[in-house]
Amino acid sequence: MTTRGWWLSAIGAVAVAFGLWVAAPRSSQADVTGEPHDDDKGGHVHVPAPLPYADAHVPPGVWTDAAMIARGKEIYSTKCAVCHGDSGDGKGPAGVALPLTPPDLRNKAGTAEMRDNYWFWRVSEGGLVDPFKSKGSAMPPWKGDLSVQDRWAVMAYQHTFSGHNGPHVPWEHPEMIFVGRDIYAMACVMCHGRDGKGDGSVGATLAPRRAPQPRDFTSSDFKFRSTPSGQLPTTGDLLRTITEGVRGSGGPLTFGLSGYRIMPSFRQMPIEQRLELIEYVKSLNPRFWERPEIKTVSVPPAPPMTPERLARGQTLYKDAECLACHGERGRGDGPLAPTLKDTKQFPIAATDLTEPQRFKNGARPEDVYRTLVTGLSGTPMPSYGDSLEPDQTWDLVCYVLSLSGDKGRTAGVSAR
Amino acid sequence: MTKPDAAHGGTTVTRFLAVIVSVVLWSAVVWADEAPIAGTVKAVDTSAQTVTLESTAKGKTRQVVVHLKPGTKIIRFTRSSEPGKTGFVEQALGLADLKPGWIVSVEAKHEGGKEVADVVKVVLER
Repeated sequence: MTTRGWWLSAIGAVAVAFGLWVAAPRSSQADVTGEPHDDDKGGHVHVPAPLPYADAHVPPGVWTDAAMIARGKEIYSTKCAVCHGDSGDGKGPAGVALPLTPPDLRNKAGTAEMRDNYWFWRVSEGGLVDPFKSKGSAMPPWKGDLSVQDRWAVMAYQHTFSGHNGPHVPWEHPEMIFVGRDIYAMACVMCHGRDGKGDGSVGATLAPRRAPQPRDFTSSDFKFRSTPSGQLPTTGDLLRTITEGVRGSGGPLTFGLSGYRIMPSFRQMPIEQRLELIEYVKSLNPRFWERPEIKTVSVPPAPPMTPERLARGQTLYKDAECLACHGERGRGDGPLAPTLKDTKQFPIAATDLTEPQRFKNGARPEDVYRTLVTGLSGTPMPSYGDSLEPDQTWDLVCYVLSLSGDKGRTAGVSAR
Repeated sequence: MTKPDAAHGGTTVTRFLAVIVSVVLWSAVVWADEAPIAGTVKAVDTSAQTVTLESTAKGKTRQVVVHLKPGTKIIRFTRSSEPGKTGFVEQALGLADLKPGWIVSVEAKHEGGKEVADVVKVVLER
């Protein structure tokens, strides 16, 4: 081919490429479609609900409550059917031409894998939030128009389209936790056991016949919480534990974190996977679906550490009988320390407060504050939430962190 | 290596030109493709026959001016009042009936640099 031929070929190729670029399905300047059909659910990927909605589980009885379903039908017919269709097929007259078409709720498989907290989030926020917003969802947010009960009612009625008659919960629809189950099988089963009872083959060897043992997810005892004593943790609490790990002597080091951990940190795992894992862990304990409104401990801003505050904290340390277990100097050598046992009757050591890198629930001031207020369920560490005022709690936090001297200041400010 | 004759080179150029012309023609058709738009009504201008929507595409929220032509239908859906019928029926609206805050979906064509609506459907009145 001559030089002229090569030039013509090159120009032709560029022209064809330009033509193809022009002809790409751009469609319109106001293209709001994004990728409306990027999967077989019409673009409706069931991502984990964000933390503000992650604990919004629907009580199982709602799904089969005839009065709730009737109430839901009434609301659905007036507010939802115009897009979602009277039969839930997603082909209501206003829905068929939407950039993100409503899902077909008659699709058993698609509905089964949609978690209740995702569903509630979707109904509450509509298309105002990503990833739905980016896809051009026109779904209105209903949280301002419908009460929580009414949103549950609508969901219960929508659920009937799938033909499933039982409650819409993970133990009825394991599809909704398959991702988390697989992560659990790879990362957690060795210590926490196949059924989450804390009886994995490796777990018991970490501290033979002594506490701490791997958590039994089927019980009510969760140490690390922001919820009051005796209650289950929030999803945010579980995420914090999985992300930070549990500190203690021995165990692996984690890149970017100081100190050893008896439970490794999974901070390198993508957040979506950690949330999927938590959904599986929660599914092992139906009480996560049965609890009423969740109250969490709020941690007020840390006050400055002053000599007066330290002195008050030292007095409280004695008055609250902390020294009985933790010892006068906080070394975990109090007179009761050798007798301490957890609820499974395993001997348990009182934490050495001079070694903040071993504080299992974290050594930042807010971590210590939270531990004092919530206690550590399943261990002898009580909750002081009812007996100390917030300012007194801060006094005690300051004193506890002062016991480690420079280590405490370092741990309190930066160590995680 | 032999030098190709002029006639063969001319045929190649002609084929390239034919491909380019057909691609450009095809792209012109696609350019005017229909695309659904959905969003919240921000403003209605009855004199200019436009409705401005706040719409989101690929993570970016922007205001889209949709132009109405004489044949554009604006419809809302209401429950049929006929005995025995439970479905929805279309109810025609005028542009002035649209109110800011309503959520609408629009079937539009991109023509001459403008979004020109065929149908405007009211999704939610609020």
